[in-house]
Amino acid sequence: MFKSVDEVVSRLAGERYICSREVATVVYLACAMRKPILVEGPAGVGKTELGKVLSGALKLDLIRLQCYEGLDEAKALYEWEYAKQLLYTQVLKDKIGEVLEGAKGLSQAVERIAKEEDVFFSDRFLLPRPLLRALLAPQPTVLLIDEVDKSDSEFEAFLLEVLSDFQVSVPELGTLKAKHIPLVVLTSNNSREMSDALKRRCLHLYIDFPAVDREMEIIRLKVPGADEKLAQEVVELLHRLRKLDLKKRPSISETLDWVKALTLLNVKSLDDALVTETLSTVMKYEADIRKAQEELKEYLAVRKAKLAQPAAATSDKDFLN
Amino acid sequence: MLDRIVEFSELLRRHGLRVSLPENMDAAAALELVGVGDQATFKSALRAALVKRAGDAKTFDELFDLYFLGLGQESRRMDEELMRQLGMSPAEFQAMLEELEKFLERLDGKISAITKALLTGDMGEVERLLREAAEAEQSENPGLRVLMFAQGIGDRIGLEAIRAEIESLKALLGRGGAAPELIEKMGRYAEQRLRNIMRLVRELARRESDKKDPARSERERHDYLSQKSFIYYTEDDIRKMNEVVVRLARRFKNRLSLRRKLGRRGRLDVSATFRKNLQYGGVPFRIKLERRKKEKPDVVVLCDISDSVLNASRFMLQFVYSVQDLYNKVRSFVFVSDLGEVTKLFEDNELHQAVEMALRGDVIDVYSHSNFGRAFEIFYRDHWTAITPKTTVLVIGDGRNNYNRANDWVLKEIRRKAKQLVWLNPESRMTWGYGDSEMPRYAAHCNVVEECRNIHQLYQLIDRIAA
Repeated sequence: MFKSVDEVVSRLAGERYICSREVATVVYLACAMRKPILVEGPAGVGKTELGKVLSGALKLDLIRLQCYEGLDEAKALYEWEYAKQLLYTQVLKDKIGEVLEGAKGLSQAVERIAKEEDVFFSDRFLLPRPLLRALLAPQPTVLLIDEVDKSDSEFEAFLLEVLSDFQVSVPELGTLKAKHIPLVVLTSNNSREMSDALKRRCLHLYIDFPAVDREMEIIRLKVPGADEKLAQEVVELLHRLRKLDLKKRPSISETLDWVKALTLLNVKSLDDALVTETLSTVMKYEADIRKAQEELKEYLAVRKAKLAQPAAATSDKDFLN
Repeated sequence: MLDRIVEFSELLRRHGLRVSLPENMDAAAALELVGVGDQATFKSALRAALVKRAGDAKTFDELFDLYFLGLGQESRRMDEELMRQLGMSPAEFQAMLEELEKFLERLDGKISAITKALLTGDMGEVERLLREAAEAEQSENPGLRVLMFAQGIGDRIGLEAIRAEIESLKALLGRGGAAPELIEKMGRYAEQRLRNIMRLVRELARRESDKKDPARSERERHDYLSQKSFIYYTEDDIRKMNEVVVRLARRFKNRLSLRRKLGRRGRLDVSATFRKNLQYGGVPFRIKLERRKKEKPDVVVLCDISDSVLNASRFMLQFVYSVQDLYNKVRSFVFVSDLGEVTKLFEDNELHQAVEMALRGDVIDVYSHSNFGRAFEIFYRDHWTAITPKTTVLVIGDGRNNYNRANDWVLKEIRRKAKQLVWLNPESRMTWGYGDSEMPRYAAHCNVVEECRNIHQLYQLIDRIAA
């Protein structure tokens, strides 16, 4: 586990994940306090990625549970292996015959079978799903419960037991306790409000779009060949675009895609035609593209004016900072 | 430290955040781990443990500053603002402050401590003096409202005297023989500082009474969007509303699709089962279940877009079109006194634009007086073919008819021909039927009549429809 907040920052950076101190603080606390983290924020800021890199940084196995409408215990926790049970009873027919040999009457036969019942409801026939797998794993794991807001509230209620006591009850087997407490990361896109009870059990982390310099850092890391000035321009522009009322705001992955595309095209600086041509890498809706283009014109015009009188621009910058 | 945390959580609670005991304990445990040395870390640790809703983060930030930081931030902001206004770089600004300080030294004795601290930018000292005044005021006149309290503090530190001193200082500067440009700048600076201290006084008064007065936050909580009546929406709310519509629409879709999925397998179809199993000698070997038909209704929306219900209509139009793919066909009409079809606007334009165009009066005159009766009559005359036995008709309006003819026979006809008739009224149920409201008369013909004044009610409504 991590020893300090700084260590979190550096080890996540080692996994090629750049995070703010705020994120690192929460991660550090979650590890130290053995509490689940509930991560919220807009799409594409690296919520899921956080879970993945944590497993990498801590050298732990990642167990992932993707939530969706209608997800139930059978798919999240465990299932009895029906087919296997059936197969075994068929194969063992003779053996069962032996057990039943000499039984007088039906009730005695049932009695004898009941004695052997445990054989069929044992670990052997239990098919563990992600949650149970995380609990029963011989080493500690990172359990990533992705898009928990997509699940139904019934499932959420059931998660409570798992997350607070790290144990589950299987009626046929009794209570199964976790061997190691996994590090749990829940992500939510806020399509519905999670219950207070669940939130109470978690540390809350809100990841927003990164600030300009952090996004620059991410670009430097992920697109090593990118031109510094170009990257700066792209990031500044995207920060402007994110302020618009768009159907889908461009996320970090879109920033990276765009920088990659422009780098491939061997571009050194943004201009009108180029942006219009490549805008489709960042914008996913026709209406968004139209809105973005208007904003773009303005941006490029302002920039041109700035480039025309560089002296004025520098002094401008001075007292803005 | 523990006391401080408990007290701070208490403050959060009074401002409408839900902070429970285990969360308090988490906060304490977290602080033990990260310590209190670094302010940013301290803050994020507290936030992770205590605040569980992104929407509450702002309140938390404000209260954190209020509780753990002094006025320091506020005065730093003022300094920056000053530099910007005077067009000075930090170095120039610093130089001017020193110049001013020298000047004030010479005037020693003629000028009060607080004015000096204020002009030389010693905001720590200013704050200390302000706090002293605030405490004295509080112990003498407890329970003052913010404005009176601010005035009390102002009197105590002698705002009037400061003003006079600054005025005479400006005159002195003029006689001092400095460069006119510098004098002008210093004059502006001094004036700005005077404004600053008044702002600080107000700020301090507000903060102190915030700490004590939960009523204000209570009001804010009631203002919270979902409880807020559509009528009181501001521009800002309308922008936020777009987001809410998207969320609401997704919820509605999910609910319906889940229901359709679960409902796909219906009850046992007895006759079909018999028919099928005749080949097995009537033993029900293969069971035949009823299949439900996929029902995608046609929807006709009639929206009153007179001023009183404009926002509710805006909301409903957006909502209906956001979940458009659940329906076979949506046709929408807007009316005030005239009635016009706006379906085409939605086909040709992007959603937000179309809504704005529909509400703006591109189609009908929006400045006339509401006349439901006339609008219904026009609908019957010109658009009757829109109604089929598969149609769900949704009317949004307050039913205030300005004492015109009600023409509720149109609704009766609609009810007879359409699948169902739903009326959503953005006005409180208590006022239906009073004044020129024809609601009871219209309601008699509807399958469903609901009050729908805010998002919260709409949520409930949708859950009921989709459940």
